[in-house]
Amino acid sequence: MNNIIAYVQNIQSLQNLNIVNFTCKGTPLKMMSLDLNNNIQKDTKVMLTCKPMAIALAKNLQGEVSYANRLHANILFIESGELLSALKLQFEEFILESIITTDSCKRMHLQTGDKVTALIKSSDLSIKKVLV
Amino acid sequence: MIKLNINKTLHGAEGVMNLHANLNIKKGEFVALSGKSGSGKTTLLRILAGLEEVKGSIKVDEQAWLENDKSLPVQKREIGFVFQDYALFENMTVEKNLLFVKNDKKLAQHLLELTELDSLKNRYPNSLSGGQKQRVSICRALMKKPKILLLDEPLSALDPTMRSKLQNELLSLHKEFHTTTIMVSHDPSEIYRLANRIIVLQNGKVINDGSPKDVLLKTQGSQKFSFEGELLDIKKIDVIYVAIVAIGQQLVEVVVSSSEAKNLLLGDKVNLSTKAFVPMITQN
Repeated sequence: MNNIIAYVQNIQSLQNLNIVNFTCKGTPLKMMSLDLNNNIQKDTKVMLTCKPMAIALAKNLQGEVSYANRLHANILFIESGELLSALKLQFEEFILESIITTDSCKRMHLQTGDKVTALIKSSDLSIKKVLV
Repeated sequence: MIKLNINKTLHGAEGVMNLHANLNIKKGEFVALSGKSGSGKTTLLRILAGLEEVKGSIKVDEQAWLENDKSLPVQKREIGFVFQDYALFENMTVEKNLLFVKNDKKLAQHLLELTELDSLKNRYPNSLSGGQKQRVSICRALMKKPKILLLDEPLSALDPTMRSKLQNELLSLHKEFHTTTIMVSHDPSEIYRLANRIIVLQNGKVINDGSPKDVLLKTQGSQKFSFEGELLDIKKIDVIYVAIVAIGQQLVEVVVSSSEAKNLLLGDKVNLSTKAFVPMITQN
């Protein structure tokens, strides 16, 4: 779950701080990281991941937001609990899970089939493994 | 420079094991030797000291310590050796313990001042604390200005505060004397603070050799904050799960989603990791 396959586009570095830019089916993705393994270079295929709690959702998003990762997705399934809701999202061929408060889910009138933007901060995105 | 290429058959707890090491250690390096007990660490120190029969070659600064079965005797190898137990001469004062090795009052005084033992120099070892005794052993090992200082878990019997104090003193002594040092240690923080290189042994073989940061940071992908633990409990609350994981002496709670929880079994060895950007740090 929350595994996205992407390719490294370029790496911006300052001492041991790095911003890695990826692309996944045309969607640009960004990750903030300290030292990177040497095998992560331009065109490296990686599996990215993030915790379900780190994915925020927006509907009819307008204006600017600082989230570096904005993924257009469809809601596949909503498991609504008393306080929290777990939503399964389809982004390209990947299934993502987002956990938000049930209050937010109700306020936004989120329903299966809705088009949403999944928002992930670059500091919350990480490389799960390097694929060859 | 130490050039060592040795082979020795050991009869350990888990049967016969071949200890093999082929290492180059630069002058002035501080090397930590790590690995499970029985992996050959202490034997390697004893080989360098000339206390074990071994096949191979050892060269220190172009002088052969071991070559074609000819071995330089222990007393001719310029070595300082500090063990976990202090091995002091109980019938001699602190100062005499140092002067017994080499009659150099000036150096003894200097070493005692560096390690804050000056005021205790007329005391006998049995009136000293563990930390003080170990400082005397370290000073004594440095009296001959050895080419190599060998430390076999020198601080492992001490409490954490004394340990940290002695780590600082070892660091100051290393800065002052630049003695090539090889220390057996299991403590990652000690290794990180003191050593510029770590060599990890397993079943008599070198399985890792690099900088402490590269070797000890257990990172998976881009996760920098990583711990191994045991899953003690996992409970469903609303649509999420809360896992309780034991890490060393501490318990931590981690929130996981149902899909993350799916394959977890109680008692599993698990790795907890997060990015370096997330943890908060506060002073105690």
